[in-house]
Amino acid sequence: MEFLTQALVAAVEMGTPLLFATLGGVISERAGVINLGMEGLLLVGALVAFVTMLGTQSYLAAIGAAVVVAGVVTMVHGLVCLVLRANQIASGLALTLFGTGLSGLFGDRLIGKTIEPLDSHALPGLSQIPLIGPALFHQDVLVYLSYGCVLATWVVLYKSRLGLTIRSMGENPEVCDTMGLSVLGYRFWCLVAGGMLIGLGGAYFSLALNSYWVDNITAGRGWIAVALVIFAFWHPLKALAGAYLFGFAIALELRLQLLGIGLSPYFLKMLPYLLTILVLTTVTIRNQRRGIQVMPAGLGQGFVRGEKY
Amino acid sequence: MRFFFEKRTDTTPLGHTTTIIGAVVLALVFGAGFLATVGVDPLEAYTLVVEEVFLSSYGWQDLLVKFTPLLFMGCAVALAAQMRLWNIGAEGQFHMGTVFVTWGSLHLNPDTWGWSLLLVMGLLAIAGGGLWGSIPGVLKARFGVNEIITSLLLNYVAVAWVDQHLFGSWRDPASNNFPITREFADVARLPSFGNTSVHFGLILALVVAVVVAWVLLKTKLGFQIQLTGDNPDAAGYAGVNGRLLIILVFAFSGAIAGLAGFSEVTGIHYRLQQNISIGYGYTGIIVAWLARNHPLGILLSALFMAVIFVSAEMLQIEYGLPIAMVYLYQGVILFTVLGSEIFTEYKLRLRTA
Repeated sequence: MEFLTQALVAAVEMGTPLLFATLGGVISERAGVINLGMEGLLLVGALVAFVTMLGTQSYLAAIGAAVVVAGVVTMVHGLVCLVLRANQIASGLALTLFGTGLSGLFGDRLIGKTIEPLDSHALPGLSQIPLIGPALFHQDVLVYLSYGCVLATWVVLYKSRLGLTIRSMGENPEVCDTMGLSVLGYRFWCLVAGGMLIGLGGAYFSLALNSYWVDNITAGRGWIAVALVIFAFWHPLKALAGAYLFGFAIALELRLQLLGIGLSPYFLKMLPYLLTILVLTTVTIRNQRRGIQVMPAGLGQGFVRGEKY
Repeated sequence: MRFFFEKRTDTTPLGHTTTIIGAVVLALVFGAGFLATVGVDPLEAYTLVVEEVFLSSYGWQDLLVKFTPLLFMGCAVALAAQMRLWNIGAEGQFHMGTVFVTWGSLHLNPDTWGWSLLLVMGLLAIAGGGLWGSIPGVLKARFGVNEIITSLLLNYVAVAWVDQHLFGSWRDPASNNFPITREFADVARLPSFGNTSVHFGLILALVVAVVVAWVLLKTKLGFQIQLTGDNPDAAGYAGVNGRLLIILVFAFSGAIAGLAGFSEVTGIHYRLQQNISIGYGYTGIIVAWLARNHPLGILLSALFMAVIFVSAEMLQIEYGLPIAMVYLYQGVILFTVLGSEIFTEYKLRLRTA
């Protein structure tokens, strides 16, 4: 019981950066833009948060800086793939390379430096619920913020007129254009908003999960988030479930390592990635069997008035 | 006042070349900015690069040594890209190739196998890379699973698999606990040219490039690959087995990346160790993209990427900059090249009221 409670706490901790990143991916992909730069943006967010924290000792400044810088870096991706109409996949890969390089270059001087990680705060009453109480309601402020982001994303995307427009951009940009809406504008700002959320996820790595800087701090979690967007059917509430499921897998891997179970740590390290492939395959097969088309129909396709891509 | 893009009527190959050169120059300017932020005088650094990389014989040796794996990787990625498939997993296929090769060196007796050991190890690399590459291929062909994500995630698995061996039973007892295997036997090493560090892998890479070019441009299989890439429905009506082709192309692509692994361990390191590939697989994507997947253009773009690697290593030695500079420059170059492509087809015009 104690083991499970602790594992669930760790699952939410490990799942939170995935949750932010997946939400960010959901927003931009709903508008029709693929962001394969997630891994790079997570690294940028982590780096900026860590550096700002070192300089200012203010969590608020660190989080704010990570969000803003991630947003600005995402604009480069938007400029290249939306304004200049380049291939979204290639441009996203460029973003990942860029973010990896940036965090490697500036992070090199940070190795060995430490910061005070975020404190956990128990929500009175709720945190007393057995099993899930400590996991969900005895956490740091970013975890609580992530609940707010899930709710806000869901309300905006599914309960507002703006959300309807955004989702139409991803399904049928031609129709949106005919209605006089700026496809470029909506797509660009959705991509940027998503990028800011991913930056927030990056900040979680350096402000909550680690107290010191390590090279390649995100260890490929950005790519797991790319898969999670598909796993979550491009839906914010399902993103919550998906992120915690994978958070649990990562937490379990770390815990089994600590317990010194007979399995090699390198095999355990493979587990989250193998699980991602397995789940992605299962979801794809299931969708095909049932003939469901959940992927936004215009995803990844450029749009230029009067031209067929 | 608004800007808009107007379609060009006068697209020329010269215009295309100028655009790419312009994009690269722009990338170097951005890169200079990043150098300046970490306290390196960019002009001094670029001058050093020209002197040490282009104007010295060691520089050229290093260039050819780095060019070798990048040429393999560019071919691997381009082959898949000709069918509109993204193989982001060349890095992992490379690692699988090195694992298979090292298995051969550790378990096959060099005295009984003689020179054929090297041949067997090459075949093992093809098998290792090919099998690993065919996983995303099978998942894509059979179930329609997104190959970008699966091939990428398998990279992390392959690297962990290498570590599993290096920190496990393959560790050389005489290595003072370093995660390295014992050295390969002399017959299991690729010969070098004279006293240089350039090794026979270069020839192998050039042969692979020519074969890939020949297959793509001159054979029925190559035609089918391109046809399926451009129009899968039409290819299907023409009797092409698209699903089988996806698996085949991914397996071939993986095999080429596996050969890159073979060339690196038997040509340079003579043992398995960590970080044998510093992102060669990811670089292959850029190599292929810059060349627009044309097999011959890959020769040029692989050489260009080799310059980036050698320069970064030089900056590492001279200024203590991390090797992550490579990724930074690659990201910037890919961004500027992608962003400039539109100018070959369009003109930026000013709309006056």
